[in-house]
Amino acid sequence: MEALSLFVDVLKAAALSVGGLSSLPQLRQDLVIPGHVTERQVLEALAIGRLSTGPSGLYVVSLGYFALGWVGAIIALVAASIPPLLIVPAAALVRRQLLSAWAAGAVRGVALSTSGLVVATGVQLIAPDRQILAVPPWQLGLAAVAAVMTMQGKVHPGLLVLGGALVGLVLGR
Amino acid sequence: MPPVPVTLRELFRAWLVIGTQSVGGGASTLYLMRRELVERRAWLTHREFLEEWALCKLSLGINLVALTGLVGSRLAGAPGVLVSLVALMVPSGVITAAMTAGYAVVRDEAIVRAALAGAGPVTVGMTIGISFTFARQAVRRGWRGSIDWAWGLVAVGAGLFTGLTPIVVIGLGIAVGVTLLRGETSRASADPGT
Repeated sequence: MEALSLFVDVLKAAALSVGGLSSLPQLRQDLVIPGHVTERQVLEALAIGRLSTGPSGLYVVSLGYFALGWVGAIIALVAASIPPLLIVPAAALVRRQLLSAWAAGAVRGVALSTSGLVVATGVQLIAPDRQILAVPPWQLGLAAVAAVMTMQGKVHPGLLVLGGALVGLVLGR
Repeated sequence: MPPVPVTLRELFRAWLVIGTQSVGGGASTLYLMRRELVERRAWLTHREFLEEWALCKLSLGINLVALTGLVGSRLAGAPGVLVSLVALMVPSGVITAAMTAGYAVVRDEAIVRAALAGAGPVTVGMTIGISFTFARQAVRRGWRGSIDWAWGLVAVGAGLFTGLTPIVVIGLGIAVGVTLLRGETSRASADPGT
């Protein structure tokens, strides 16, 4: 994979998303399907992103590393940082219009689309080819519990990941 | 603007604290931002912080990067944007890349594969949970919320059962949004999770 290609892929995914993790479907499309990274590396990047510091959208740094090493990590970090900053000049110029009904509708459309796509991507990550019945029940249970606990927001994300790893050590051998 | 001008060095230090201590993603990062910028240093009022948070939810990409830019701009102009962004993102990026590099050395060990067999599904579940929370913050109140949820379900179905690429689904989402999903802005006080 070329550096410029990675930069464009991450930039495009960030520019087509609202929220850090919502870049996931587009990145899976552009990086996994052509074979630049594997499904497993996506899972690993997401987990590392939850255990590291900063916004969880920085999982793209981990993905960039898997694709192109340290250079890929730097490229991903820079590319993911550019689209969000467009809000600064936009807010300076048209702050009131940004809070209008049509802008809210457009953002809502993007937010709900990407949320739905992220859910679909999550299902595809845990059950490739939608073979849910082929996934061990304990893994489905872990995913369901983690989803509920994340929505409740009472347990630290890092503890959830570590708890899952411990269960994996017991049941996943 | 804060009552006392903020120097770039102070700004850098504040964001460095946030960037190096916010383990676990968006919620902890947002918590530290509020603690450092509003409570500890009093550079922003709570209302000003929520106003910028409402705006950043309209941004592309990582919301908290947008919030960093907006706060940096409010406190110290364009240099403030640059200093804030570098102090937040560079340490976090280096830590993330270093963790990945360390992980890559051991990722094929049997014990690591077993751990990932549990951590992987948990991460997927967390990602789905965050998406649901994010969608819940975006939907409108009352009966119009059911239209919003319906579109979210259509997007799930499109992702699972059609060959449509994300860019097409998102394009359709913008078209549906400006026609059917217009109205109140997202709830400003909710946590991001992103």
